[in-house]
Amino acid sequence: MNIKNQFKEGLITNNPVLVQQIGMCATMAITTSLFNGLGMGLSVLIILTCCNVVVSMIRKIIPEEIRLAIFVVVIAGFVTIVDLLLQAFIPALSEALGVFIPLIVVNCIIIGRAEAFCQKNTVAASFFDGIFQGLGYTLVLLAMSIVRELLGKGTFGGGLIDVSNGFHLTMDGSGAGITIFSGEYGAKVLTMPFGGFLTLGVLIALMQYALKKSAKKKELAARAAEEEKEVEE
Amino acid sequence: MLFNIISISLGAILINNFIFSQFLGCCPFLGCSNKVDTAFGMGVAVIFVMGMASAICWLIDTYILVPLGLAFLETLAFILIIAALVQLVEMFLKKSVPSLYSALGIYLPLITTNCAVLGVVLLNVQNHYNFIESVVYGITGGIGFLLAIVLFASVRERVQFAEYPECFEGFPICLVSAALVALAFMGFSGMQIF
Amino acid sequence: MNKIFKLTVVLFLICAIVAAVLGEVNAVTIGPITTRQKEKTESAYKAVLPEGDSFTEIEPSAYAAYKSTIDKISAADNGAGHVVETTFSGAQGSITMAVGVDSDGKCAGISIIKHSETSGLGEVAASASERGVNFRSSFIGKDESITIQDIDAITGATITSKAVTGAVSTAIQAVKALG
Repeated sequence: MNIKNQFKEGLITNNPVLVQQIGMCATMAITTSLFNGLGMGLSVLIILTCCNVVVSMIRKIIPEEIRLAIFVVVIAGFVTIVDLLLQAFIPALSEALGVFIPLIVVNCIIIGRAEAFCQKNTVAASFFDGIFQGLGYTLVLLAMSIVRELLGKGTFGGGLIDVSNGFHLTMDGSGAGITIFSGEYGAKVLTMPFGGFLTLGVLIALMQYALKKSAKKKELAARAAEEEKEVEE
Repeated sequence: MLFNIISISLGAILINNFIFSQFLGCCPFLGCSNKVDTAFGMGVAVIFVMGMASAICWLIDTYILVPLGLAFLETLAFILIIAALVQLVEMFLKKSVPSLYSALGIYLPLITTNCAVLGVVLLNVQNHYNFIESVVYGITGGIGFLLAIVLFASVRERVQFAEYPECFEGFPICLVSAALVALAFMGFSGMQIF
Repeated sequence: MNKIFKLTVVLFLICAIVAAVLGEVNAVTIGPITTRQKEKTESAYKAVLPEGDSFTEIEPSAYAAYKSTIDKISAADNGAGHVVETTFSGAQGSITMAVGVDSDGKCAGISIIKHSETSGLGEVAASASERGVNFRSSFIGKDESITIQDIDAITGATITSKAVTGAVSTAIQAVKALG
């Protein structure tokens, strides 16, 4: 396992949402503004990395029969820590994400990685796996948020960017974002549940299209190389 | 009281449907909706577990966690209770109601990681529901889930015969059809209870 | 049997460690969380009763007749009036709102704390948009006889507007009943 490979897997070829197709509830529910998307993505990234490290550290001492129960306890612990810290120090984010922060416990990404990866790999590899898978998840959330916010409300960076007196970033979710076009012309339906399902569906379709295309290209290249060889012979 | 219960039930089943407006329980929703039969089995199992989990978690939260000032352990306690509950229900059904077990058995383990179940107990705490309201919210939330998953499974059975771009094969087309069903459910959002 | 015992001990130990860590984290965060919540209520109360300074909660037995809709009544310590916190059903589930009632029994301002109204329609009642601000300020100076004709109701959200109007009226009646 090298880092470069893991990076590519986490972000593209084995992206948790687009390819493994897990952890979708929060992906669709909270991606209505950049602030929410980024906040959720980073929370999952931190929790996933911490859980991966701890699980791979204790993988040799925990009994096989109750490993899932132990994973769940470890995950719930980290989720509660992040939840409490958010409530105390970034209250706006904790309010915006609401019940979806504690629900990270049942996000299949985390338990899935613990079961599929960390059980068999070293601490260092698990650490990078957590970071890259988390980044892959964050990336999808960002893409969803940007599309839904722009088309639905006509803004970019809602909650995060404040342009009322010069460009600056806000941490309390009060920024209105950069207005690209007036909200009256936005397709409001995209900010509603309908938009969540639709945007994710189209995003996965695009991903499948791209993956298929690159696979075809590779196949063609391989065939061309083969033919060349034959000609040489 | 009665008014409250009716309003909670209608809200949970139609207006704030767990799947189509709150996005809770999407994974089993998309995973188990290939056939109407499977979808129905899953839905019934979810109603059962959500009702039980609401009742037990409410009791434990109100009489143990809150009085001891351990409210911060809620998430941890709830997920353990749900996991244990699912396990117990499975064992109980296997021994005493084998016919029901053979119908629901395979869905039970999947429910532990269904975020609708953890979601409903957390929402009960957040909304300060009392015992009866919590149980009603749990059961009717489950009914909402059943309604959504059965409706969607019948849509999906028909989508199989439809023609769509190749890259939409599999999950994407499901999500797009789910989007359309969600659009239909938005019709309820203008509904007023009384 | 021995095995089961061992498994239980391991699981219990891990739970205990996690719980202990969480206890530590909670000890750090509980302070900021409570101060923030207190600040939030204080500022919400001041927004609906600008003349009020600090607030003291009134015993629930004093407004027992209104217990079904009213969560809390707090009196301003300088006698400027009362703030009522009330939960009632809107178009789509419950709305929680703070209503300021001045010493003459007139509404001094309202603020919607929590709601689940339709985005774009009922939601306007709680939003910071011009429409929302006008809607909320149209309650100022009204007494308990208020009806939907007296306010700047939101087009397309009659149910929400009616529900809010009714709740403001009940809140003022409850304060008057305090004597």
